[in-house]
Amino acid sequence: MSRHRLHIAIMVHSQIIYEGLHTVLSQSEIDCIICKVDSLDDLADILHSKKVDLLIINPLLLVNREKEARKIRKNHPGLSIVGINLSIVDNHSLALLDSSFTIFDTVEQVLSKLQRIGIDSELKAPSNDDNLTDRELDVLTQLVHGYSNKEIADSLNISIHTVVTHRKNITSKTGIRSQSGLTIYAISKRIISIEDIDLQNH
Amino acid sequence: MYNVSRTYIKSGMKLFDLIEENPLLLLMMQHFDIDFRVGDLTMSQLCKEKGINEKLFTSIANLYNGFKPKENPIDSVDDVKQIVRFLKNSHDYYRNDKYPQISAYIKQLQENHPEKELKLLEKFFNEYFAEVIDHLYYEDTVAFPYFIELISHKPNNKNNLYSAKEYSEHHTDIELKIKDIKNLLLKYVIINDDLNLRRKLLFSLFELEYDLYIHSLIEETILIPFGYNMERV
Repeated sequence: MSRHRLHIAIMVHSQIIYEGLHTVLSQSEIDCIICKVDSLDDLADILHSKKVDLLIINPLLLVNREKEARKIRKNHPGLSIVGINLSIVDNHSLALLDSSFTIFDTVEQVLSKLQRIGIDSELKAPSNDDNLTDRELDVLTQLVHGYSNKEIADSLNISIHTVVTHRKNITSKTGIRSQSGLTIYAISKRIISIEDIDLQNH
Repeated sequence: MYNVSRTYIKSGMKLFDLIEENPLLLLMMQHFDIDFRVGDLTMSQLCKEKGINEKLFTSIANLYNGFKPKENPIDSVDDVKQIVRFLKNSHDYYRNDKYPQISAYIKQLQENHPEKELKLLEKFFNEYFAEVIDHLYYEDTVAFPYFIELISHKPNNKNNLYSAKEYSEHHTDIELKIKDIKNLLLKYVIINDDLNLRRKLLFSLFELEYDLYIHSLIEETILIPFGYNMERV
């Protein structure tokens, strides 16, 4: 459902700056979920159970915490880190960042810097739709009529492995996993007619 | 729905604020047999008052807010009893509250719209409901008593026919079919109007899916790993 949503963590101590960033990001084109973190330890806790795509951090909070920051980078290579500079920042901290902006940048400058590090490339990926290929439709039709993988493979003259791959694709395209669910899907989409299904035996 | 960004809960936070942010924490409290009138109590004050291990309570509350535990929060025999009671209470909630409610909504929907898809949907749900009842019965009568036995007297595992491993294999993702029903209703099945009933049904499905998912996480990330550890001793 939220596969393409960007998860952003913001680590700044100033509530005003947090709220400001939150507003700018929420009102931009970026489809994102934003959370506030208070420390690198908190961030590590969050990363333990969730994917975070982008950390926006006041680089001063990285001073003397280079070790922790490097560890997080190593364990979570998918995480981009962008600094929001409130003052002059030392080179050690800057080296930990993918990019940075200052609180004097305009909204457009901030967003274009975020775009430059490629954080929104995912957002432009085509959204999933449930257009099944002809072969997938064949497999689906047989599946909802109660045929086994082996029977489907034999009748379509393909390997069982291929049948399994088609089934996986059908599930990922439709979001429906069970055979009963796929039957209802196939009827709703007029892939099979209701008369084909025997309500008593299905 | 589970991925919504929420507060990472810590011991000094007030229950009232947390419930305002995520009302589903009320479900957790009910599973812990805790009254909803929380006043101004913080997490740690409440735990002290109710005699619950704060680490355990915070870990489970964080599961409801979307964070998995870093380490197993079970410290004592009482914690295991507490978890088993929590899981049993959630079984009662599924069995006597949520599933019958959803079942009634689907039945009503099917009566209002005599399309055959909905007849199939009702059949699908009823078969699934029966599977769930079986699974809950198995956990109540086989799995949970095993864990209670595991803590009450050091088991002699050689003679024990049952194990945490067997439980984890028997353990199924019972929320997956709920996802199917939700997806069918939101994406595919055409039903005209009846928005009140359909909204109530969808809300119930979301609520159930959410609690079932956490239920599985508690079993997978807390109870089963604890069982493995105890068996090794």
